[in-house]
Amino acid sequence: MSAFNASLFCVSCARAPIRQMEKVLVAMQDPDMGMKMRNQRLLITVIPHAMTGHDIITWLIQKYHICEEEALHLGEMLVKYGYIYPLKEPRCLVLRPDESPYRFQTPYFWTSTRWPASELDYAIYLAKKNIRKQGELMEYEKERYSLLHKRINHTWDFVVMQAREQLRASKQRRKADRIVLECQEQAYWLINRPPVVSPLHQYCFLFYTNTIHLKRALGRNRVKSSVCLEGFVKYSEQYQNHDPIMQGCLPSNPWISDDIAYWMMNSEIVPVPTRLRVERWSFSFMELLSDAMGRREFMTYLEKEFSAENLHFWQACEEIRHGESSKIIEKVEDVYKNFLAPGAARWVNIDSKTMDKTLEGIKRPHRFVMDDAQMHIYFLMKKDSYPRYLKSDLYKNMLAKAVVPQETKKSVFPFMRRQRHSSPSPAQAGAQAAEEDGRAGTNSAAGSHF
Amino acid sequence: MPLVNNKVGDDCTASGDKALADGKALVDSLIKVVACYRHLASCVGGCTDSLQLRNELRQTREKAQNLAGDICHHLTSHLRDKSLPDGQRKEMELLWVAFSSCLELLHVDMCKVLNISGIVSLADSASLVHTGLEGCSDVAARALSLPDLNQAQTDSLPAGLESQERSTMELEISQIDRMIDDMEMKVNVLRWMVEPHGPQYADPLSSTDSASMALQSIDEEQQAPTSQPLCQRSHIFVLLLL
Repeated sequence: MSAFNASLFCVSCARAPIRQMEKVLVAMQDPDMGMKMRNQRLLITVIPHAMTGHDIITWLIQKYHICEEEALHLGEMLVKYGYIYPLKEPRCLVLRPDESPYRFQTPYFWTSTRWPASELDYAIYLAKKNIRKQGELMEYEKERYSLLHKRINHTWDFVVMQAREQLRASKQRRKADRIVLECQEQAYWLINRPPVVSPLHQYCFLFYTNTIHLKRALGRNRVKSSVCLEGFVKYSEQYQNHDPIMQGCLPSNPWISDDIAYWMMNSEIVPVPTRLRVERWSFSFMELLSDAMGRREFMTYLEKEFSAENLHFWQACEEIRHGESSKIIEKVEDVYKNFLAPGAARWVNIDSKTMDKTLEGIKRPHRFVMDDAQMHIYFLMKKDSYPRYLKSDLYKNMLAKAVVPQETKKSVFPFMRRQRHSSPSPAQAGAQAAEEDGRAGTNSAAGSHF
Repeated sequence: MPLVNNKVGDDCTASGDKALADGKALVDSLIKVVACYRHLASCVGGCTDSLQLRNELRQTREKAQNLAGDICHHLTSHLRDKSLPDGQRKEMELLWVAFSSCLELLHVDMCKVLNISGIVSLADSASLVHTGLEGCSDVAARALSLPDLNQAQTDSLPAGLESQERSTMELEISQIDRMIDDMEMKVNVLRWMVEPHGPQYADPLSSTDSASMALQSIDEEQQAPTSQPLCQRSHIFVLLLL
């Protein structure tokens, strides 16, 4: 696609509101119904086609039957988009509803015909201005001139020559026209290359936030992606047999066979747990703790070892973390009394630094005040009691006793149509088991498989 | 310049110099024509727009295209010549860069003219924008290096002229497009290696020129919004100069 087509496409995208503005502009030119034109007097030169801000507003109100506020707004847009430019104070692009003079901008400089104002163009303009004013450019113009000199240095001879030629061409015109042309060009560049107040202020905040973000990023832990992926692969391998989708579930998938035996066997508390479930307790400490039966078994084991207070403490801390806000203070008091106070009935062994920090925190109890102590005890159990539990007879017996359900026989007639009816909800099955235990909530053991 | 000790070599460098001079002259005139074209294009759609202006535009454009074709041919053939000595090559590359910038400006101006003629039609003279410009000029004459143009124009707009103009313009714009593409394909000029001759700040045109210009241009740079009317300030300015 040629450059011409590409630029046409870009312009046409933004066309609609610009087209409306241009319609207004064209309407203003009507010799009968258009804007009232006056003459601008400069010393001895008279330039036609000037209009006051007040006239513009009045015309807009009359033509489009709008209120003054709207007319002012519309007029402002015309000025800000460069269709009309002020003759006094050209840098101040506002529409004053008084006797301030304005003039129409030539279509060559209109927004719709504005091919991206290029650096080359701007350089030529600045060079022209520099020649005309013998070096008297505004500060920001001088800066940009130097910048452009670096950027498009290779074509600088051309820039200077073209600037000269353009000035020579305009000398062919009469004085009044020359003035108008200069004003037009100046107005165009004030819109397309407006003076920037201070680039520093704009970017300061950006740099600041960036720096903070990057500092944080540096502090984060990094793991090699190969290590990460290895861990992921190991996890998948370990859990593959336990995944109902990958391995199927015994005795049968309740969603298919309408037989809820699977859920019943895996509910929270059962007389005999399934083998898969007991195996999972050996995968990680968290698996053991999150299973109600596993926790119960572990507690039995710890009682034999006379370190059950650790698990009790951990459970109590969990209740504080996840329990009701109103009961937090009460629970923290209890925990302190039972586990942390010197000479407490179930005193837990925490290192002195954590103990001091926790005791300080208890003075202003909140949900997470026990976190450090809980973490300490958790790791204590994980490193010490848990491995021994896995090697213990208690666990091994449990594993041996665990049941592996038989797969139900598939129906003899594989294509027989089954009568469809809505399956019993797993929530109901869980509620039954939970009611038996006196605990509310869904069946987490069955639920976790889905 | 490298030393050569055979007659053929001498001829080469001599002809190379001539080629350079030719190329420079061509590029200079193209720059002049492009400047004039830009000047004329800035009047399109305004109150000075007329059939005559469009004619002048067309003539200037044709001249620019002819020049462009010549320069393209000239520079391409010389830059593709591997035996070109280094000094001359550098000069040629400078010309090349100037030429491509010229083409860029011409292309933009042509597109703009095409665009404007779509928005503001010459046939509907009531819609021409009151830009404050007046009077005809000899800009085109300058471009075409003629003492004066043949002012024979028709006042009425022939039917279908505008649409014909449009299609011609579109053709010519795509022609320039292709020229630019061709140039880039055929000759590889490394722009960052090209060094210009001239200084950063151009000298004023001439003392009389600049003085008269400074006198007549209005003082646009008002430091702070003052309530002084424009005339008063220029008045003082003139008094200071006299």
